[in-house]
Amino acid sequence: MIKVKNLYHSYNNDGQFAVQDASFEIPKGEIFGFLGPSGAGKSTTQGILTGLLPLQQGEVTVAGFDIKSIKRKMFNKIGMSFEQSNVYSKMTAKENLDFYKKLFDVETRDSEELIKLVGLDGKENVRAGEFSKGMKHRLTFARSMLNNPELWFLDEPTTGLDPAIAADIKDIIRQQNKKGVTIFLTTHNMYIADELCNRVAFIIDGEIKLIDSPKKLKLAYGEQLVEVEYQKNGEIATETFSTVLDEDKKRLQEVIAKNDIQSMHTKEATLEEIFIKVTGRGLA
Amino acid sequence: MKLWHSFTKELMLASRSFYFYIEVVMAGIFLFLLLFAIPENFDSRHDEYLFYDIPDSSWEYFEGELLRADEDGLVETVEIELDDEIIYGSLYKSDTSNFYVIDDQELAIALADSERAFAGVIHMDELGEVTYTYYMQGYETERLLNTYAVFHNEAMEVLKDTFDTNEVRALHEDQVLLSDRENVVPSFLTFNGSLMGMFILAAYIFLDKKEGVIKAYAVTTSPVWQYLLSKVGVVTVTSLITSFIITIPVMGGQPNYLAMFVFLLATGFAASALGLVLASFYDDLMQAFGVIFVFIIGMMLPNIAYFIPTWDPAWMQYIPSYTILEGFKEILLPGGDITYVMFASLGFFAAGLLLFIFANSRFKKTLTI
Repeated sequence: MIKVKNLYHSYNNDGQFAVQDASFEIPKGEIFGFLGPSGAGKSTTQGILTGLLPLQQGEVTVAGFDIKSIKRKMFNKIGMSFEQSNVYSKMTAKENLDFYKKLFDVETRDSEELIKLVGLDGKENVRAGEFSKGMKHRLTFARSMLNNPELWFLDEPTTGLDPAIAADIKDIIRQQNKKGVTIFLTTHNMYIADELCNRVAFIIDGEIKLIDSPKKLKLAYGEQLVEVEYQKNGEIATETFSTVLDEDKKRLQEVIAKNDIQSMHTKEATLEEIFIKVTGRGLA
Repeated sequence: MKLWHSFTKELMLASRSFYFYIEVVMAGIFLFLLLFAIPENFDSRHDEYLFYDIPDSSWEYFEGELLRADEDGLVETVEIELDDEIIYGSLYKSDTSNFYVIDDQELAIALADSERAFAGVIHMDELGEVTYTYYMQGYETERLLNTYAVFHNEAMEVLKDTFDTNEVRALHEDQVLLSDRENVVPSFLTFNGSLMGMFILAAYIFLDKKEGVIKAYAVTTSPVWQYLLSKVGVVTVTSLITSFIITIPVMGGQPNYLAMFVFLLATGFAASALGLVLASFYDDLMQAFGVIFVFIIGMMLPNIAYFIPTWDPAWMQYIPSYTILEGFKEILLPGGDITYVMFASLGFFAAGLLLFIFANSRFKKTLTI
């Protein structure tokens, strides 16, 4: 669905690249996570893939279209949910969606159905200017589904949403993916990437450092840990032990034998910990 | 069809924003000023307060001169207020001056001082020698002062002969002029109708940039130029509405409205396209304000030349608002030069097209900014 080969992009044509030598392919039906901290080159890459930024160097095909000379009909196949909500504040939720519906040449979804899907039912005729930040974000998210996209670009889809709404949004993403929609997810939130993505790419300073599935990454880079809470001299103590290191294994047996165990949990490395291990940088 | 949808959406947004109403209200205020504050023709006559310190026998001669210059040859007794007191005087109206003859020298000078006008004291001694004393305000031109100097130092016969031998011929006998009130309309049309489009369009774009909706539009099948053109369309419609609000009540059926429609479309398109170009370089109105201000001041210069015809340097004609002012004037004049208007429209449309193409390429490159 997406093919990127040796992609470079410089904003000032001064030899400083926001993206350099990026290559990856995303097959149809995959949820692909593009992970990195702010300024890593995520939005630049996504901008090029969606035609918002011109292709300077490299080869890119999106939904079968060569990005070098973008044809407008490509946008019938793709949907884009922006990180920053961008809806007309002087138009109602329904008016916003009804307007964008008319800008596609394919069958579109019903505006009211989408408004309901993202939990804004009852707000159809309220101007977006009166919405909270989270509500505007959901309307922007709903708009990206109007044209039943085959390829769906999601930029930080759950940012600023409360946990319950974020869970609903993640469910919608999974449902769409089950229908065969390919998803390009840009985020710096490793938890949502871990939950949703089939594969993730770590990008930092414009370079893709690694591409693999979260499961394989955890096997390759992660370490199985056990966190134990026990009574010690009348107080609760917490210790973490590796299940791989012999020294830790012995110590764990000792703690279990000599103390009153309160709780014991296995713990695997998070994507964030792996990201730091691979890139040497955090995601903040 | 998508262009139409974008256009109707922009109309809806315009009707919900205050810029649209500012333009309509401003047009209403202009119309009110034109109809009720600006006279049909300005009275350019200046006031002179005169005191004649002469024997009664000589007064007949001087009054005869005043009556000869008077429009209807009749003297009018008038009441003039000075520091809550009523003063009586005799008014003689020539085509250039209102002569108030006052019976008291001090009062004549006090009136001139109060009204910031001109006072003259004409004194004749026992030998019949006439002396003139003028009380001026200090702003009189060197040319006027020289005229008085010549007038009193040359023999009247010589001056009269010189005046009589000068032949004055009108080069355009059938020239039709606009009244003073009508003459103000081209200025309103130029600035409220055409050039305001530049500012309003930039303001609309900055609002959309703030909301980020241009990016959302760019990922649809509708090209960005349609988005930009729909904005231009709305600004042009507003310009047409406000221009006709001003013109129809003041000018009635006199103007060539078809030519005016074409000219407003062309000049509005060019001004809007210029607004698009400006908006493509900045993120908000505050950043762009300096440049917009310079443009507005530059465009206002021809307006000064329009109202002060003696100041009309050749370089002024290269400022677009000069041509717009002249174009509107030709449209309003009965039998105006419509060929000039059409050629000017063509020029503005071509310039607008080039600016629009440039703005479109700028917006395509700067969508993520």
